[in-house]
Amino acid sequence: MSSLLSITRPTKRDSRSNDYDSDVDMKDAMSEYQDEGSKDNTSVVTPGELVTEDPTWMKGHGTYSLENQTYSSVAGNVLRLNRLLSVIPIRGRYEAETGDYIIGRITEVGQKRWKVDIGCKQDAILMLGSVNLPGGILRRKSESDELQMRNFLKEGDLLNAEVQSVYSNGQAALHTRSLRYGKLRNGVLLKVPSSLIIRQKNHSWNLPGNVSVIIGVNGFIWLSKTSSTSTAPSVNASTNSAQSALASKGGYKPGEGSVSITRLEEESSWEIYSDKNDEISASIRGTISRYHNVIKAMSACELGITEKRICMGYDASMMYADTSMLIEREAQEIICQDIIDSEKMRGD
Amino acid sequence: MLLSPAERSYIYDSLCQKDPIRPDGRTPLQFRPLEATTDFLPGSNGSARIRIADGSECIVSVKSKVVLSEKEANLIEWDVDVSGYRDDSNFVSNLKFSLTDLYMKNFPCEKLKLTAKYSYKLFLDCIIVSHSSYPLTLATMASYLALKSTRLPLLVSEVDDSQVEEQPTFSDDWEKAQYLAEFFKTESFSPPLYITVGIVGENVFVDPSETEEQVLENGLLIGYSEKKCIAPITNLNLATNSNNSNFKGFTPALLISTVDLLKGHLSSIVDALDTLDKQDKEDRTQSIF
Repeated sequence: MSSLLSITRPTKRDSRSNDYDSDVDMKDAMSEYQDEGSKDNTSVVTPGELVTEDPTWMKGHGTYSLENQTYSSVAGNVLRLNRLLSVIPIRGRYEAETGDYIIGRITEVGQKRWKVDIGCKQDAILMLGSVNLPGGILRRKSESDELQMRNFLKEGDLLNAEVQSVYSNGQAALHTRSLRYGKLRNGVLLKVPSSLIIRQKNHSWNLPGNVSVIIGVNGFIWLSKTSSTSTAPSVNASTNSAQSALASKGGYKPGEGSVSITRLEEESSWEIYSDKNDEISASIRGTISRYHNVIKAMSACELGITEKRICMGYDASMMYADTSMLIEREAQEIICQDIIDSEKMRGD
Repeated sequence: MLLSPAERSYIYDSLCQKDPIRPDGRTPLQFRPLEATTDFLPGSNGSARIRIADGSECIVSVKSKVVLSEKEANLIEWDVDVSGYRDDSNFVSNLKFSLTDLYMKNFPCEKLKLTAKYSYKLFLDCIIVSHSSYPLTLATMASYLALKSTRLPLLVSEVDDSQVEEQPTFSDDWEKAQYLAEFFKTESFSPPLYITVGIVGENVFVDPSETEEQVLENGLLIGYSEKKCIAPITNLNLATNSNNSNFKGFTPALLISTVDLLKGHLSSIVDALDTLDKQDKEDRTQSIF
């Protein structure tokens, strides 16, 4: 049996041994900023570092000016666009962009809208009009829908969604108008820094071992059992009872006041707002916690997270029979090194 | 922290199984890995800092003062500061009470006596810089290391001053300062620890993480020192700031079996803490040269 507690002493975890050299590089880059018209616009600055003395630059995000000199207010890369100078932070809070596939948690139910925590500076909003309601068909949202908002999504519920638009103050508006989006079930959430997530075409994957992963661009990752039915409209007992419970409570029928096509469709669509988990076997639960630890390891070692790497990390983790060993720093580093090595071998 | 009903039932079911699976894959008696340093505050007699990978951090500093024994009610005083909580909040005063209680019952205060009239008084200041799960295990581990690294100046005046009007005087040489274990003249100086234990069904888990705390049926705070579980043993809701809907009672038999289970396994925790303390001490003696 492995030890129950491991205590390490803090060490300087810098793999780059030539610290001195990189310092020199930076100075060179600095001098290049200062001569005007330099085309080198990818360099790293630290907070409080002088970016340029030239007053003609317009100051963008991540900068501040003192006595006509521009300083960086964040650690990141300098970006120059025409006369606009800004610094893109390397790490920081997630900033929503239109089209991002994200995972969020409801924090508040309000007038015709939900507030959703997506790890942004401000909570995102999800309008009642931007969700699919039970009833299956697109229709105007009636007053009774408004009164029943907690039956669809309540505080604490997790959902995946897409950023529909971003307001000028940075607040995001979400929508779930696709069968891919909606309430999340059958799994666990874990959070990693959003800077580790690479925006991709596809963010939801089925992994080996009957486990699915949704990698939210905001750094929220959902690991769950792969659903057996590929969204075939089947009526099961749990949704039936969930619906009848709701119906008896509020006397509310989904799609009231509108014409629904079939009874079947009504009932199946309640499934998307169900809180009940399916049967999940112990082996799948074990696999989920293994994936959980692999992703944690990647985040501890600051490795960008993609589906391919998760699979490689999972394979690498198999040398530890016991999942409990994967939380040790040493094991985490070995797994990440393994991922990097196998990427090199493939020539990615 | 708020969980959705689906998450809650997933985690609960995983913990409830015959072979429980914790969300992070730990075994039931496994703690989260820690990172610690000792004796890093130059202004105090002893200090320690402990961190967990999730960002929780706790700093404990030990300071000493020479006091007249008869004028002091207790020779050890705790002060707890938790960021984000008012000093007079329930949470902070509960932590402070638990720590004071533990040390009143299990710390050899009588050995702090310096002379017939005077004794040392220890001030333990604990700052919980950030925490996600219930912070008492972290706080007691940090104070364990801080007390282990605590040094007190060497007394050079007479030990028996009951007849004479004389204040104790100390050696100027800090190199001669004694570690608490030497001062107490004991081989095994082992300050008490608190172990947080979560209960789900028939299963128990040490050091529950924040998400686990949300689904626990009950929580236990068990004192531990020198290979045995000690008073105080209390039960509480570990999930602060949220209503834990699973919370319910537990059978007394479970408490007894938990205490038995911990007794057998927890000595490795103390060993790990001692090893770190020893390494740090070795480093300090080497660093002079």
